[in-house]
Amino acid sequence: MILPKFEFHEPTSISDACELMARHRGEARLLAGGTDLLVNMKKKVLNPKRLVSLGRIPELTQVERSNGTLWIGAGATVSAIAASAMVARDASALGLGARALGTPLIRNLATIGGNIGSARPAADLPPALIVYGAVLVLRSVAGERRLPIGEFFKGPGLTAAHEDELIAAVVIQVPAGYAGAGYLNLGVRKAQDCNIVNVASYLELDGRAEVIRAARVALGSVGPTPLRSPSAEAVLIGQKPTEALFDLAADAAQRDCMPILDFRGSAEYRRDMVGVLARRTLTMALAEARSRN
Amino acid sequence: MKQLIRLTVNDREYEVGVDPNTTLVDLLRGHLGLTGTKKGCDLGDCGACTVLLDGKAVNSCLVLAVQAGDRTVQTIEGLETAQGLHPLQQAFIEKGAIQCGFCSSGMILSAKELLDRSPHPAEPEIRRAISGNLCRCTGYQKIIEAIKDAAR
Repeated sequence: MILPKFEFHEPTSISDACELMARHRGEARLLAGGTDLLVNMKKKVLNPKRLVSLGRIPELTQVERSNGTLWIGAGATVSAIAASAMVARDASALGLGARALGTPLIRNLATIGGNIGSARPAADLPPALIVYGAVLVLRSVAGERRLPIGEFFKGPGLTAAHEDELIAAVVIQVPAGYAGAGYLNLGVRKAQDCNIVNVASYLELDGRAEVIRAARVALGSVGPTPLRSPSAEAVLIGQKPTEALFDLAADAAQRDCMPILDFRGSAEYRRDMVGVLARRTLTMALAEARSRN
Repeated sequence: MKQLIRLTVNDREYEVGVDPNTTLVDLLRGHLGLTGTKKGCDLGDCGACTVLLDGKAVNSCLVLAVQAGDRTVQTIEGLETAQGLHPLQQAFIEKGAIQCGFCSSGMILSAKELLDRSPHPAEPEIRRAISGNLCRCTGYQKIIEAIKDAAR
């Protein structure tokens, strides 16, 4: 399969990358891990005139924790995130998403910034990032701005990023004590698969009384973008976490999704599975919340 | 316009001019004559083109040749030493893990990345490590046995 021709740039700093994106506005695309973009170019779905590769920018690959904040450079590979003890401890649901993505070969190339920027509705990392309330650090020649990830996705392949903007990093407030999260994805195979449904849940308990203080549920693959489930969250907040309550929340989550019917599954099946995965990820979140005190 | 890149493949340095739209698998097979790396789907699905890039197993059909500049590539041709075949290659032969052979290069390199970082993996780890490599002969069981054998 022949890749269409393009001009190629490999800047070594974020500011050089921003310069290039500004100078070639509209005709340049960012190349991160290439596992999505190069496939679409080979299939002739995309035909950018220029590629600006982010692969030689060391400042993009930092993963560090300071003052209760987890800073993940957009160029961090999915395998680095999957293997990170810091991510496993402080943002376990993100680690689970990273381990569920693609194959080991894809994970060694794919980056967190690419997984967000490509804005695929079934992507493995966004649901966990949404429930953690992650904030994206966007850079362009105009400077830096920060955007909650929940405001970033606009549709399949569509985002709130400007044409010349790049994702520099993802910032997560490390959950406090008595807070936990869970992530599950359902596909036909265990690897190299497009999700049928994927769900992340987050619970924050009021330590002693065990009342749910904050709850967030994010549904993937069942809408044009990953979706928050306000109905499920409303059911959960202020209540004691019980199986019966999680059943009610799961039913509510089913009402908040808008699945399509395709060869991977019917809309009805997807809606049912939203309920199952919501219930199970809430159980995971509760177990983790109780262990983090 | 062609770009001049330098890269190390199997401990040998190359300087080669490549078009930006040339992928690493095509550089290896077409320009360097290293046809041990196979080209299957060319879309990152099958794993036949697996190589180690700075020690990490990747689909070489999803890497541009220019992106491999100043980096180190190991292909199946680089595993044999003066002492003979790599233990994984030997185990694949002895356990009958090679049928048509098209997936073998990729399977062995994925297994090598695993054993380099985890010398005595449990079976689930082995299965995970080769989950990006498809075997159309469906010889998975023998491949897993060979990797276990090489890890002993």
